[in-house]
Amino acid sequence: MKTPEPNQHPTIALYAMAALTGVSLATSALLLWSTGVPAGPAIVAAAPPSLLLGVIGLASRFLCKAMPLREASRSSIAAAHAGSAVAASSLWLVIWRAWLAILARGSGTAIKPDFSLLFGLGVMLYFAAVAVHYLMLELDASREAEEAALRYRVLAREAELRAFKAQLDPHFLFNSLNAIASLCGTRPLDAREMTQKLADFFRLVLRFGSLQEVTLSEEIDLVSRYLSIEKVRFGDRLDVHIEVDERAGNCKVPPLLLQPLVENAVRHGVASMLEGGRLEIRASMNDEALRIRIDNPADPERTDVRGEGIGLQNARGRLGAISEGRARLDAFERAGQFRVDIELPQ
Amino acid sequence: MIRTVIVDDESPSRDILREFLSGDEEFEIAAECVNGFEAVKAVAEQDPDLLLLDVQMPKLDGFEVLALLDRSPVVVFVTAHDEFALRAFDVHALDYLLKPFSEERFRQMLDRVREKVRRGERAPVSAMSSALRARPLQRIVIRHDDGEIQVVPVGRVDYVEASDDAIVIVTGGARLRKQQAIGELASELDPTRFVRIHRSFLLNIERIEKLALYARDSRVAILRDGTKLPVSRSGYATLKELL
Repeated sequence: MKTPEPNQHPTIALYAMAALTGVSLATSALLLWSTGVPAGPAIVAAAPPSLLLGVIGLASRFLCKAMPLREASRSSIAAAHAGSAVAASSLWLVIWRAWLAILARGSGTAIKPDFSLLFGLGVMLYFAAVAVHYLMLELDASREAEEAALRYRVLAREAELRAFKAQLDPHFLFNSLNAIASLCGTRPLDAREMTQKLADFFRLVLRFGSLQEVTLSEEIDLVSRYLSIEKVRFGDRLDVHIEVDERAGNCKVPPLLLQPLVENAVRHGVASMLEGGRLEIRASMNDEALRIRIDNPADPERTDVRGEGIGLQNARGRLGAISEGRARLDAFERAGQFRVDIELPQ
Repeated sequence: MIRTVIVDDESPSRDILREFLSGDEEFEIAAECVNGFEAVKAVAEQDPDLLLLDVQMPKLDGFEVLALLDRSPVVVFVTAHDEFALRAFDVHALDYLLKPFSEERFRQMLDRVREKVRRGERAPVSAMSSALRARPLQRIVIRHDDGEIQVVPVGRVDYVEASDDAIVIVTGGARLRKQQAIGELASELDPTRFVRIHRSFLLNIERIEKLALYARDSRVAILRDGTKLPVSRSGYATLKELL
């Protein structure tokens, strides 16, 4: 999944630097004024070095980004910023000296500030800028984490909704109702049983739609109900074999994960074969991962082949959302057999 | 008696058609078929008046069955899918029953069939067959003289050659003869995959190895298996656009 570039407060950083320039201008002008320089010339003298300090403060953002608080070691961060503070403050003194020399040449009266005090001021202001940068970066990081979590939640929710909608394939309902209508005439008891099966199935689907997770056994139970309904329509053409080991059955899976895949296996697989075929579902636990395999025959010459269907993409999306990308879903078709393999680390 | 053939791959669907039909003495079931192949065979053998036809069936769907018929019974589609209704209208189906349907609706259909059969109206086969296939065609269905039906996915076709009033479909060395005009087949296939490179040749362009100049202004297409086919000037223009 592509992560959009997080908002990094560039404009706020600029405002902060303008503020730094202002603070620098005020404090250094005050410093000059306290040594007897009139206010006007003090401000003129302090302006260019303060502007420079603002720029240095802005540049220190890159060093802060290069040495994030959470990742770099405390001592290396301290050393980097101490060195950089000394360098920045030295540069600021050089500008002070140069600018005061130019002013002295112009007005004839030299301003002689206490350079050690100015140096200290430069170092302090540099560290103030660094503190502001780190604060901003932390805000960004936490907001980014929040957004990522939200994206996963939205994805999971969307996938659930799509799965739920796909679940209610109207043709499944129409065909089942048609089968019931047919049974009413010839085998009324079977018709009654089928309405019961259909009702139980839809009730279960509705309940699953509101759950966050179910056990694999519960999901397999739903799938079996679905298959027993389809069996009424397809008769001997649909042969079902399900094998789930006990540990696998207790694993948690997203509700309605397998159902659309099994539905595909019937609709596009077994139903595409003249003689039908065997649908196999196997699940086991090994290497601390739940492995589920669905096998079914499929006519390689069927006309509804359209690459990977929505069912598969949906299942993959949901697996990705719940496992944060660790789960796998692979689908292959070879020699008239279609296979879906799911691996879900526990 | 109105002789009826029922075609549906699901047994409950056949059951209810049989049950509802048995309520009308004028209708008689001539055959029940569980797939398209059986349907084509049954229609050839029984020459029924009415064909009750499911659409979605394995291998050969309802529309493909119609394309293969050499007789023209009254056709009524019976399906759970409403999205084929327009195509059904195109192929002059008399009615379109959506599953599940009521007995009343079924009786209305039977009355319409009765009326049509009494008037002796039947759509001419030729008018039906050209209009009814999915476009572009996914499978070419061939009916051999012995009644056997062969389904060839279009991706497997190398090229098609005109031969008198018929065509020969060449697929992996096998040559299958079909009664159809080459122009008609060309119009049904995907024009970006199959190009009429010559008056007598329709080529699957995936099979082209290269095009060579044969004489001034005349070219040949050399296929992967070494076959050489003539390319006309207009055929070359179309190929150049696509390749």
